[in-house]
Amino acid sequence: MQGRGWGVTVAFLPILLVVLVGPGVSLGQDRRSDDADEADESNEAAIEVQPLPDEVAGAEATRHWELALNGYLDIGFADAQGNGTSFVAGDTRVPADYVVDTFATAVNSRGDVASTQTDRYTNGFLPRQMGMGGRPSFLINNLNQDLRYSSADERLMVFARAQVLPRYTDAGNETRLFVEQAFARVVPFAALEMALTVGKFDSVFGIEYLDNPSTVRVGVTPSLIARYTTGQCVGAKLLYRLHIPALASSISVNASASNGGTQVESLQPVDISLTGRPVLAGRLGYELGLPRWQIKLGGSVLHGPRNDQRDSNVHQTNWGLDARIYVAGLSLSGEWIYFEEEPGTGAKFTGNGTHDFASGFEVRGFYVQAAYRLPIAFETITGITIYARAEQRRARFDGYPLIESRRLTPGVHLDLGHNVALKGEWLFNREGAGALSVANDVRTVSSVLSW
Amino acid sequence: MKAQSPTTRSNLGWLLLVLVLCSTAPSRPRAATADKPRWLADEMPLPLSVRTPRDLDFKAAAERQYLIFNLLAGGKWAWDQGRFADAVERWDALLRLPKLDPELGKLIVPLLGEARKRAGGGEALAVPSAAPEATARPGAGPEATPAQPARAQQPNRAVSVSGSVVGGGGRGPAGAVVWLKRAVGATPKPRPLKHAHMNQADKSFVPRVLAVTTGSTVTFNNKDPIFHDVFSLSKPNDFDSGLFSGGNAYEKVFRAPGAAQILCNIHASMLGYIVVVDSPWYAQVDRDGRFQMHEVPPGKYQLFTWHEASSTIATDDIVVGESGVSDLIVRVAGDAKPDNLVPDKYGKPRQRQLGY
Repeated sequence: MQGRGWGVTVAFLPILLVVLVGPGVSLGQDRRSDDADEADESNEAAIEVQPLPDEVAGAEATRHWELALNGYLDIGFADAQGNGTSFVAGDTRVPADYVVDTFATAVNSRGDVASTQTDRYTNGFLPRQMGMGGRPSFLINNLNQDLRYSSADERLMVFARAQVLPRYTDAGNETRLFVEQAFARVVPFAALEMALTVGKFDSVFGIEYLDNPSTVRVGVTPSLIARYTTGQCVGAKLLYRLHIPALASSISVNASASNGGTQVESLQPVDISLTGRPVLAGRLGYELGLPRWQIKLGGSVLHGPRNDQRDSNVHQTNWGLDARIYVAGLSLSGEWIYFEEEPGTGAKFTGNGTHDFASGFEVRGFYVQAAYRLPIAFETITGITIYARAEQRRARFDGYPLIESRRLTPGVHLDLGHNVALKGEWLFNREGAGALSVANDVRTVSSVLSW
Repeated sequence: MKAQSPTTRSNLGWLLLVLVLCSTAPSRPRAATADKPRWLADEMPLPLSVRTPRDLDFKAAAERQYLIFNLLAGGKWAWDQGRFADAVERWDALLRLPKLDPELGKLIVPLLGEARKRAGGGEALAVPSAAPEATARPGAGPEATPAQPARAQQPNRAVSVSGSVVGGGGRGPAGAVVWLKRAVGATPKPRPLKHAHMNQADKSFVPRVLAVTTGSTVTFNNKDPIFHDVFSLSKPNDFDSGLFSGGNAYEKVFRAPGAAQILCNIHASMLGYIVVVDSPWYAQVDRDGRFQMHEVPPGKYQLFTWHEASSTIATDDIVVGESGVSDLIVRVAGDAKPDNLVPDKYGKPRQRQLGY
């Protein structure tokens, strides 16, 4: 019954699209803007202008390769409740990181948390930490430098992103240089929207990886499910996109074969393969783009060996759905995932070190976010966006009870001039089924200077 | 490849003609230079007979070319002989000629500056005060070497304003657009351009920067074999072409003055600018930052300079004398927002390296 309902919906989708799109779409012939037809009016009082020299008046100009150096500095200030962790005093269950959400007290765009310090046994299900505990602190969240080379015909691009991350100890004073991305992308056929990328690149799973840099993210922190979808990986990926102008639509396929998959680097090594077999991931996307509003839908899947252990017969599987709607300054986005890891047979290796065992694990989670850019601006404040994100994560390790965490994050984003953004948000973390309540709300501010 | 304008071809033709005439001329120049090296023809007018109006036109044209040749080559001849003051005198006179081919100006200006230095130092840079109305306001405006009025010029005759844009950060001055607005009274309305083009080729906007007048129609030709979706969020010139395939075009009328950032909703790497000016006196600099505006009536003006790397439009006050203004130097900042993050047509920033 349910299947038939979906079938009917799918069958009517093209008709619905045509009705929605209607006269606003042409079939690819020469077109004019609404006012272009009125441009032939004579103007008796006008002065004939001199023609510009040919080299700038529309003739072909010489195109050059481009080498761009861009980057940003993200400096924050954060205050977390309690001791900055989600560990509950008096809870004696171990591993301690299996019975709380250690990622809940995020303070910045990378998802680094205020603290993970505990005197109890953990098994590596841990994020990177700032080591600030429950004490309010200024933070250097990220010093990021990009290098991008593009050939004159845009058929070749080389990109590298290095980040200086000054933390990772309880004192927050250890600095690491992290090569987040380094890849080459080629467009093999000029007539096809196809690009092949090799190297270390962003995830192809879901949509939240698009917001990884704090220069792009409307808020400060990532969602509770970002840890499973926004990591980088080393391998190859292929993007293909097909446009359907009659429907103002595009269909895209993004697929990758990589060493690690799409979890963040604190949960698994992404630069090398521990099993010798690739992890396959992909996203099928549909986009309807009308002049004033847009819908983007996608479905993602990932399957391959767990790359936090060495047995190639132990798998990870991830399913995801995502949706985005933009209309009149309002941006709505949401993502749902189901992620499963089979139990491993030996030790577990993560970005945080080597741990005792790779437990079986499954998680369901989602987030929805609304952001609205106010139609006002001032001399100094060139843009004001208010936003809120609601999310839930339900996770379970084999042999342990399910734990549920929820979060509501309202915030404000200010654009100050051309190169500075100031963001502030409040993370209201709440524990649900299986998790003990803990005071772990976070207030965090981020100022991002880009160049 | 830059096309050669009819004017340039005409000038070169006349130049060749004069060269031939000079090389086949009787012994008068040689006789005159028997004792002392002397330029062959300082004297004007030329001994050409005038019997008909056509003869008069012919003579006037020939004398103009003769004068240009004389001052151009005579200056270089003086330079070669170390007579730098003579070189300065001749080249200064040449640059004061109205409607001079800009290519000649580009050729001369570097040597002229050096000749001035060698002729007597920086003081020589100061222009005689014969044309006070042509002096750029010191301190408030761009650096300028205003030109002296030519003797034969008629009052209020339209002249040219030329100079260079410098700065622009790492991108350099290329792509800057300059225009003039009258300081007092209304600036005449320009006639819209009918055939302005910004093409899409190799996933780039070509040209990257295009200056047009208000009301102009710009045609976006898709010369790629793939789709593009050209748009701008720059109000009030915002628009969205929607998807259109290779070989097709989209037309948009730009009615409001201002710079419109032009993007493609499919390809985040594509970026261009259309600068709409509400003045008939405007120019777009060449690759080295040089510009020239023609047919400018003498008077007081505000000079506006737009550059994509500058967060503001530079403004300067200038006074254009009856022989124009040359050697303006306009500085633009390089402080604008970097273009590594470009929005899609709904305003959401995109990372260029992702390609979508």
